[in-house]
Amino acid sequence: MPVLKLTLGRLVQAVILLFVMSVIGFAGIHAIGNPVFNVVNLETASADDIRRATIALGLDQPIWRQYLLFLGNVLRGDFGTSYNYHQSAFALLVGKLPATLELSLSAMVVAAPLGVAIGLAAGRQPGSMLDRSLLSTGIFALSIPSFWMSMMLILVGAVETGWFPSGGRGATIVIAGLEWSFATVDGLWHLLLPTLALAIPNIALIARLTRAGTIETERMEFLRFCRAKGISSRHILLRHTLPNISAPVITIIGLQFGGMLAFAVVVESIFSWPGIGKLLIDSIQLLDRPVVMACLTFISIAFVALNAVVDIVQATLDPRIRLSA
Amino acid sequence: MNIFEKHGPFLAVAAAVIASCAYVYPAAAADELRVATAYKLMTLDPQYANLNENNSLLSQIYERLIYQDENLQLQPSLALLWRSVSDTTWEFKLRPNVKFHDGSAFTAEDVIYSVDRIKNVLQPPGGGFRSYLGGVKSVTASDPLTVVVETDRPLPNLPQAFASIFIMHRPASGSQTTEGLNAGDQPVGTGPYKFVKWTPGETLDLSRNEQYWGRTPRWPEVEFRTIENPAARVAALVTGEADLADAIPARDVSSLKQRGIKVASIGAARINFLQFDLTSDIVPGVTDKEGASIANPFRNPDVRRALSLATDRGILVDKILSGYGTAAAQFYPDGLPGTSSRLHASPPDYARAKALLAKAGYPDGFKLVLAGSNGRYPGDGESLQAIAQNWARIGIEAKPEAAPYSVFNTNRAAGQYGLWYAGCSGESVDIILDAVVASAQPERGRGSLNYSNYSNAEFDAMLIKAEALKYGQERDNALAEATDLVMTDQPIIPLYHFHHIMGYGDRVASYVMHPRGWTTAMQATPAKE
Repeated sequence: MPVLKLTLGRLVQAVILLFVMSVIGFAGIHAIGNPVFNVVNLETASADDIRRATIALGLDQPIWRQYLLFLGNVLRGDFGTSYNYHQSAFALLVGKLPATLELSLSAMVVAAPLGVAIGLAAGRQPGSMLDRSLLSTGIFALSIPSFWMSMMLILVGAVETGWFPSGGRGATIVIAGLEWSFATVDGLWHLLLPTLALAIPNIALIARLTRAGTIETERMEFLRFCRAKGISSRHILLRHTLPNISAPVITIIGLQFGGMLAFAVVVESIFSWPGIGKLLIDSIQLLDRPVVMACLTFISIAFVALNAVVDIVQATLDPRIRLSA
Repeated sequence: MNIFEKHGPFLAVAAAVIASCAYVYPAAAADELRVATAYKLMTLDPQYANLNENNSLLSQIYERLIYQDENLQLQPSLALLWRSVSDTTWEFKLRPNVKFHDGSAFTAEDVIYSVDRIKNVLQPPGGGFRSYLGGVKSVTASDPLTVVVETDRPLPNLPQAFASIFIMHRPASGSQTTEGLNAGDQPVGTGPYKFVKWTPGETLDLSRNEQYWGRTPRWPEVEFRTIENPAARVAALVTGEADLADAIPARDVSSLKQRGIKVASIGAARINFLQFDLTSDIVPGVTDKEGASIANPFRNPDVRRALSLATDRGILVDKILSGYGTAAAQFYPDGLPGTSSRLHASPPDYARAKALLAKAGYPDGFKLVLAGSNGRYPGDGESLQAIAQNWARIGIEAKPEAAPYSVFNTNRAAGQYGLWYAGCSGESVDIILDAVVASAQPERGRGSLNYSNYSNAEFDAMLIKAEALKYGQERDNALAEATDLVMTDQPIIPLYHFHHIMGYGDRVASYVMHPRGWTTAMQATPAKE
């Protein structure tokens, strides 16, 4: 019963969120400009071409009617046809999903354990040489803009040394109807630099958080008892400190992962990695409303789902936490 | 030192592993041409939209009746000969023994089908080529290799239209839909390369058409990869992942040359210019120095001339475009057919400009907003800044206002600008003249970019007379004279013709630039031939 109530509550929240998001997204695109100027070639189109295209896209209707039409179609599972690609917006989104998933997953697989390990190492001996050097490296990694870091990775890893490709996904193979590149050697090779570019700031962020938590927890009474009982410091660190600092770390991992799914635009553009972030920003620039709305819906759902996962994980790790709608 | 002693063997192994990986990559097929392009193919339907990116990439799969060469001259492609039989009748003799990629023969039926598909089948927003066929009454076949086009008025430039329209193969029944073509119904054309695979926004793969009617295509396989970020495109070229890259930023050319990348460039068959609001009584953003609104100053030709005289095109071309641009005084780069040999861009003359302003009644100048797009054309946003600084010297206080292209267009269409930066391209200079400065006459496709509502009856008459002439010297001269006449009135301020820049690596021996800015495998010659 509580599980049912919880799920229902979350679902209602998600629906409200999606509704609000759709209104904002729709109004936002409408406010930016008229998509028809990107659909026809303004340098050659006649006024008649523009007028016909406007009618064909339904842009001659008042905005509220356009929104109701859109809403009706979405409820029937149809996000509409991309203005620019003349393809189903949903299919375009699904086509970009593998690239996004493999990049953000691999970045998190690198960032989470490394960040936690570094944070624990630094937090155990606050003020030590190790701590101070890790801390300053972390601040550096966090403060450099990601476009610069990506450029430098390309410059060093690809242009100067030629070790890695400068961009693209490399060879892909088809699994479950979608194209994946992580399963080929060439694909993995292409994955490495963008993964680093995405992972480095996250390693720093997670490490900082872990370090702060570790310092705080190490001062606690129960840890002193542990030490007094003669438990090894490694055991204390992994079995007592780590679970106690996990709540904020898991939250940040979840949120950052969501951010990578949706907003890794800079890294995706520079490495010409055809992910959802790039699709979203391209579509916003072209005012391709069906694709923008499909992307925003996906991102909202992803965030809601990630939040739910984070809550569940926390509740299992920390018995004091009770899930609530 | 210590580290090397302790970990020396490990470091050596690591270095060896990394070095061996360098040999694994790049793993390109021996004869494949890999192209990094800024062009993002929108559709596999060659008749859906008249966008340069589609026309450029799809011209490898589909062909036109007539090919427009690098000097913008019309050359036989799928049609061998064309002639006007009467004022309103054109006859095209088709090339015999041409096969589509599926093996079927190319005949007049395919031409009829292609025209009909554009005129009657494709629904908006598709059918971007419909305007090219305005005035075409009927298309019939007098024999399988002869197409007769009847027009409802004399159309001496009809061959030009057929240099733009791609010929598709008539299916057994019905007609191809855009959705079907996009979903991978093998696009069937007559072109030198066959379609293999398309991933929207990512790659387009082609393979050589062994049965091609012309010279056997030089590259067995071609892959186009869309890389929109210019820095990433340059990086792909430098690392050897791409053999050829288009739209190279001018500022990267010298460093590319240092790395042994070859660069080719050509002045684009287009113009970027400033356009005025010439109809409103009060123009948005235009005020006197105190901020009080004033009557539209741009209606006075002296004001327009003064602004043009005070524009330093040298700075735009040398600094902003790093030399990869040509200062403009007319609608097309000098030397192309139909351009005037009497118009030349000159250095700014601030004294004369100030005198002209004074004569027009603005001795102290005025304030204006100079609007434009940002990132749409090479140098667009930066040009606004530079021009505003130029104009400050004659007392004009210009406020540059650059916006993303779609925002800019929405505002311009809503009449929120008085003076703005614009661009126009066309297959020939008369198309640009028609679009930008001819009096609006939508049913004839005139004045489609004449957002100024400029109207000059004398020029209109000259232009119509010139366009009624057959292709050749006489027509070109008449167009040049019409250009001379209209520029005395300064309806626009021509700024520059930017250059298309291509970079290519060792595997490409040479690349033939085309002023229309096309990127195709046909233009690249392999090094080992």
